[in-house]
Amino acid sequence: GAMAPGKKITARIKRTLPVRGPQAPTLSELMRWYCLNTNTHGCRRIVVSRGRLRRFIWILLTLSAVGLILWQCAELLMNYYSASVSVTVQFQKLPFPAVTICNINPYKYSSMKDYLSELDKETKKALETFYGFSEGKSKVRRSVDEWNSTGSDFFKQIPLLKFEDFSKTVTDFRSGQKRKIEGSVFHKDSSIVNSGDSNDIIGFQLCDANNSSECALYTFSSGVNAIQEWYKLHYMNIMAQIPLETKEKLSYSADDLLLTCFFDGLSCDKRHFTRFHHPLHGNCYTFNSGENGTILSTSTGGSEYGLQVVLYIDEADYNPFLVTSTGAKIIVHDQNEYPFIEDIGTEIETAAATSIGMHFTRSRKLSKPYSDCTETGADIPVENLYNKSYSLQICLHSCFQKAMVDSCGCAQYAQPLPAGAEYCNYKKNPNWMYCYYRLHEKFVKEQLGCQQICKDACSFKEWALTTSIAQWPSTVSEDWMLRVLSWDKGQKINKKLNKTDLANLMVFYKDLNERFISENPANTLVILLSNFGGQLGLWMSCSVVCVIEIVEVFFIDSLSIVMRRQWQKAKKWWNDRKRDRSGKASDLERQGHDNPVCVDEDLPTFNTALRLPLPQDNPLPRTPPPNYSTLRLETAFTEQLPDTLEAGQH
Amino acid sequence: MTLKKYFIRALHRLQKGPGYTYKELLVWYCDNTNTHGPKRIIKEGPKKKLIWFFLTLLFASLVFWQWGILINTYLSYNVTSSLSIGFKTMKFPAVTVCNANPFKYSEVKHLLKELDRLIEAALERILQPTPGNSSENTSPPLDLGLWHQIPLVLIDEHDKDNPVILDIFESNQTALVNETALVNETVAGNETAAGNQTTAGNQTAAPPVPANTTSEEKKYKLAVKLCSHQGSDNCTYRNFTSAAQAVTEWYILQSTSILSRVPLQERIRMGYQAEDMILACLYGAEPCNYKNFTQIYHPDHGNCYIFNWGMDEEALNSSNPGAEFGLKLILDISQQDYIPYLSSAAGARLMLHQQKSFPFLKDQGIYAMAGTETSIGVLVDELERMGYPYSDCTMNGSDVPVKNLYSQYNTSYSIQACLRSCFQNHMVEICGCGHYMFPLPEGVNYCNNEDNPGWAYCYSSLRSSIRHRQICIDSCKETCNDTQYKMTISMADWPSEASEDWIFHILSYERDMSTNVTLDRNGIIKLNIYFQEYNYRTISESAATTIVWLLSSLGGQFGFWMGGSVLCLIEFGEIIIDSLWITIINVISWCRGLKQKRVQARYPDAPPTVSELVEAHTNLGFQHEDAGALPRDEALPPEPGTPPPNYDSLRVQPLDVLGPDSDAE
Repeated sequence: GAMAPGKKITARIKRTLPVRGPQAPTLSELMRWYCLNTNTHGCRRIVVSRGRLRRFIWILLTLSAVGLILWQCAELLMNYYSASVSVTVQFQKLPFPAVTICNINPYKYSSMKDYLSELDKETKKALETFYGFSEGKSKVRRSVDEWNSTGSDFFKQIPLLKFEDFSKTVTDFRSGQKRKIEGSVFHKDSSIVNSGDSNDIIGFQLCDANNSSECALYTFSSGVNAIQEWYKLHYMNIMAQIPLETKEKLSYSADDLLLTCFFDGLSCDKRHFTRFHHPLHGNCYTFNSGENGTILSTSTGGSEYGLQVVLYIDEADYNPFLVTSTGAKIIVHDQNEYPFIEDIGTEIETAAATSIGMHFTRSRKLSKPYSDCTETGADIPVENLYNKSYSLQICLHSCFQKAMVDSCGCAQYAQPLPAGAEYCNYKKNPNWMYCYYRLHEKFVKEQLGCQQICKDACSFKEWALTTSIAQWPSTVSEDWMLRVLSWDKGQKINKKLNKTDLANLMVFYKDLNERFISENPANTLVILLSNFGGQLGLWMSCSVVCVIEIVEVFFIDSLSIVMRRQWQKAKKWWNDRKRDRSGKASDLERQGHDNPVCVDEDLPTFNTALRLPLPQDNPLPRTPPPNYSTLRLETAFTEQLPDTLEAGQH
Repeated sequence: MTLKKYFIRALHRLQKGPGYTYKELLVWYCDNTNTHGPKRIIKEGPKKKLIWFFLTLLFASLVFWQWGILINTYLSYNVTSSLSIGFKTMKFPAVTVCNANPFKYSEVKHLLKELDRLIEAALERILQPTPGNSSENTSPPLDLGLWHQIPLVLIDEHDKDNPVILDIFESNQTALVNETALVNETVAGNETAAGNQTTAGNQTAAPPVPANTTSEEKKYKLAVKLCSHQGSDNCTYRNFTSAAQAVTEWYILQSTSILSRVPLQERIRMGYQAEDMILACLYGAEPCNYKNFTQIYHPDHGNCYIFNWGMDEEALNSSNPGAEFGLKLILDISQQDYIPYLSSAAGARLMLHQQKSFPFLKDQGIYAMAGTETSIGVLVDELERMGYPYSDCTMNGSDVPVKNLYSQYNTSYSIQACLRSCFQNHMVEICGCGHYMFPLPEGVNYCNNEDNPGWAYCYSSLRSSIRHRQICIDSCKETCNDTQYKMTISMADWPSEASEDWIFHILSYERDMSTNVTLDRNGIIKLNIYFQEYNYRTISESAATTIVWLLSSLGGQFGFWMGGSVLCLIEFGEIIIDSLWITIINVISWCRGLKQKRVQARYPDAPPTVSELVEAHTNLGFQHEDAGALPRDEALPPEPGTPPPNYDSLRVQPLDVLGPDSDAE
């Protein structure tokens, strides 16, 4: 009673949505059915062909076609994430880049006297002891004792050492004593190691303050490098203790640096320049920094319409140990970019007109998954210490600074301060120099992981510079030019400028063509699919419909056939075990095989029409093929034609 | 006979179509089409039929969607770029060499004498503003007429809000010429640049300046006074932060006016001659001399000489990289003979450019310093683009609406030529005369102070007009083939101290045939121009989407989703024609039915039997086509047919056999 409604429902479902079996009762029949009815071209040939050889060839061809399709489609898929490059050129009004100009000498030597006099005195003494150099002949050579009394803190911190040879015997500069040195030796110039030259090598020793036995020795082949490097270390120590406001005052003002300015055919002055304090280069001035919201642009190329400035380089006020060259450094960059003057600046000569023609190129790469670059730098786990947009350089510097703060406890002077950190100086961090050198060495050897973390930016602007130099002022115009420029500078004629104190700089667009190099995806999904379609169609005249067919036949239908077989086998085995009901087992088997419901229902359709002659066809392949082949050789076509036609009609 | 039979068959086929009703037609189509989906719809069982129906619909819509995308892609005319780098035998670039100074001072001295005296006197007054110095009293009186055409003025800015304008040669130091309030306003309002009260556009031309001004300002400034015509109140003061700049600008304006009246032949004579300037020349292993250079008169730099311009002779090829196979030149710029106030930078100006193109030295030129050897490694950077519709560029400039004034040099179109021509055309239009720096259109003269007293004012306002520049930028197009010469420049001192003597001696001897040394380190320049190891980098464009690409992509899509081809489309079109045919037949029969109804109402008659009609249609001999072929509607026979509903009900029968199979079980 309770079962009845359920049965009814199942019966109804069975009636309305009958569960049909696969297209054919057995696997081989299914395959045959598939081959005859499929939309792909190869399979049909296999079934229709007469003769083993022919059939074998068709099987081979079909399989190789399948193989080719798979191979080609795999290739297509693998090449999906490739990019094509397009270059567009546009002639237009171009935004003028920011031009940052620095004097090579960071601070006026005269005003730095208070801070550097001690250091300079020590340096001069060192030069005298090592090389017998003395500035003035009148200078009396002082004894070693005298210097110790003046308190040579600098040498206590970082002793300058002179090596006799490679026997690790050194002369200590301070005591003049020879002693053996412990610890590892780092050669800044490694080539000297193999030269076998027994010339004196100079270097300095950095020791871990907490553990004095751990020392690193830095040697240089030339005293010039050693003294400069040594001086720079102390210099940074001193500068790190001076507040920024004071440093800005110590450096050059805009009036000091810029004598004349001319842009786009119009006069400009220091108000078009923004001060930017660079730790190593002092006050730099950025033209067109965009800080007041407007970015100047040029609508005419050529040297007359660019930026023309005359710089005053006060060579007499240079620091003799810190910088050894004269001139200015400039860098052309985007307004959002940080000017890495120390890394990529162009040097400007004095007493010359430097003409810099620019050519603007904008590039854009595709980010993931096409290439490994970053759009904004937001996905890089390194905090950007610079107040500018991301670049690889910024990332590397920030990464190093972070590592420096983490391991040394203070920040390196040349880079901006992270929050909560302060610059290293040996009053507070006596150990920092050793730490810094160790860390820097690791950084260079890519052991800090900075190079791995930092990625390059996806889009960047580049100004290609063509630099050429002319003599300026010319011999005949020198006289009036210097007079007028002196008037410009001080409006006094008592001090005429020297031409070696002046540098003329012209920065202009060579042409207003902007090249834009961009990467585009070479493939879209549409193109990929049509390529697939092309491959499938070319080799087998196949389409997605065929793929669905294949899924249907090979997975659903064959699986169900196999499952049914297995089920029947299991049932048979069960029945065989019981023995007494052997007859019924065979009944069941037959029932599954014939699937009479299916046949009945499909009678009026083409499917059944196709299926009906199948049992009659079956005996045909069973006859020995060689006989048929030889017989039918001459009449193969006439014989075969109606056969294929017949198949075609189904 | 067979032909006729075929013809009749074809005709019938055309008329009849594969079915008589839409349903029949559809079934026939689905069964016989080559596209993959529809066949399944009729061949499968009811559930699968439904699935296949939706699948087919889905795939068809997918195909159309993707086709839309593909056609859109095609119509956007994308290009792909290919890059090739390497070395090949290439045309050596044309090399233009000029002196930075346009004329020999010794030759033009008689023209510029007055000007020089004026500026010297003016500088004297500016730099030493003490009345006690009376050095100029001894010299002959100055030509103040020349001065007053474009005077220099001193602006006293001790009082920021009320600057005082001092005329330099006006009744000594004490006479303060307090100009009208109008002028004061403009000067005070816009200190950095040309304050112009007449054109509003000029205000924006000046670089914008933050308002805050620091306390320490310069007290005196030099400005050039430009008036629309002499003695008028309509004046502007071109203000300069630097006196040096002001003096140079003033001198250029004045000298331009003077030199523009000198005929061209005379100007060429006053410039540097090839035999004086080009001392030695070597191309590859072959000697060359100044005769291999083509002379061209360049307004900025006087006589320029172009090597390998390719105008009369074939352009030279270079098939080897390296300095040994390039061009080696020794030039003399004779710096002592420079015009002191005109050009302050000394050196040779040179430029590499394409054959048959005009050298625009101010834009693309570079300097070479005296007393040095400048080596220039060249990489030819070419960009070959496709024209319209792929990118907006011009092949030869013929489609640019600006008259190219440089065509008189027989040179090819370039964007620089276009911009300059555009400017000159504007200048002629507005100021009535041509600027000295650019070629002249026909029937126009160069501007000079005598004939066009207000030209400097006109020129300076035009030059700073953003609007005019923008018009020129918009109307000029860049060329499709853009060639740049990327130069790697390096310098060394030359000649060395040890070799100096004999080199100067030989070169002087060769040039002047005298044993006196006429050359010095300040004038001599050595140039090496050669191809680098990789001498070309070519970026060439090709169409990313061609019609072949479009067709194969369309085919790919259609094939991918439905296994279809163009023939399938034709099949589909055929079916549409057939269905139209059926519609027509239906309409006709419907009309006939209406008519018949009316006729029947008048003459009631017995309708023809089914067998009669079947016979009429079956003897046409095309039953082989489909078994279900039944007589077509009464289109031909003149006798009235049976009402259509009867036929339909008759013909439904064979379809009904399909019916239960397809509908439900």
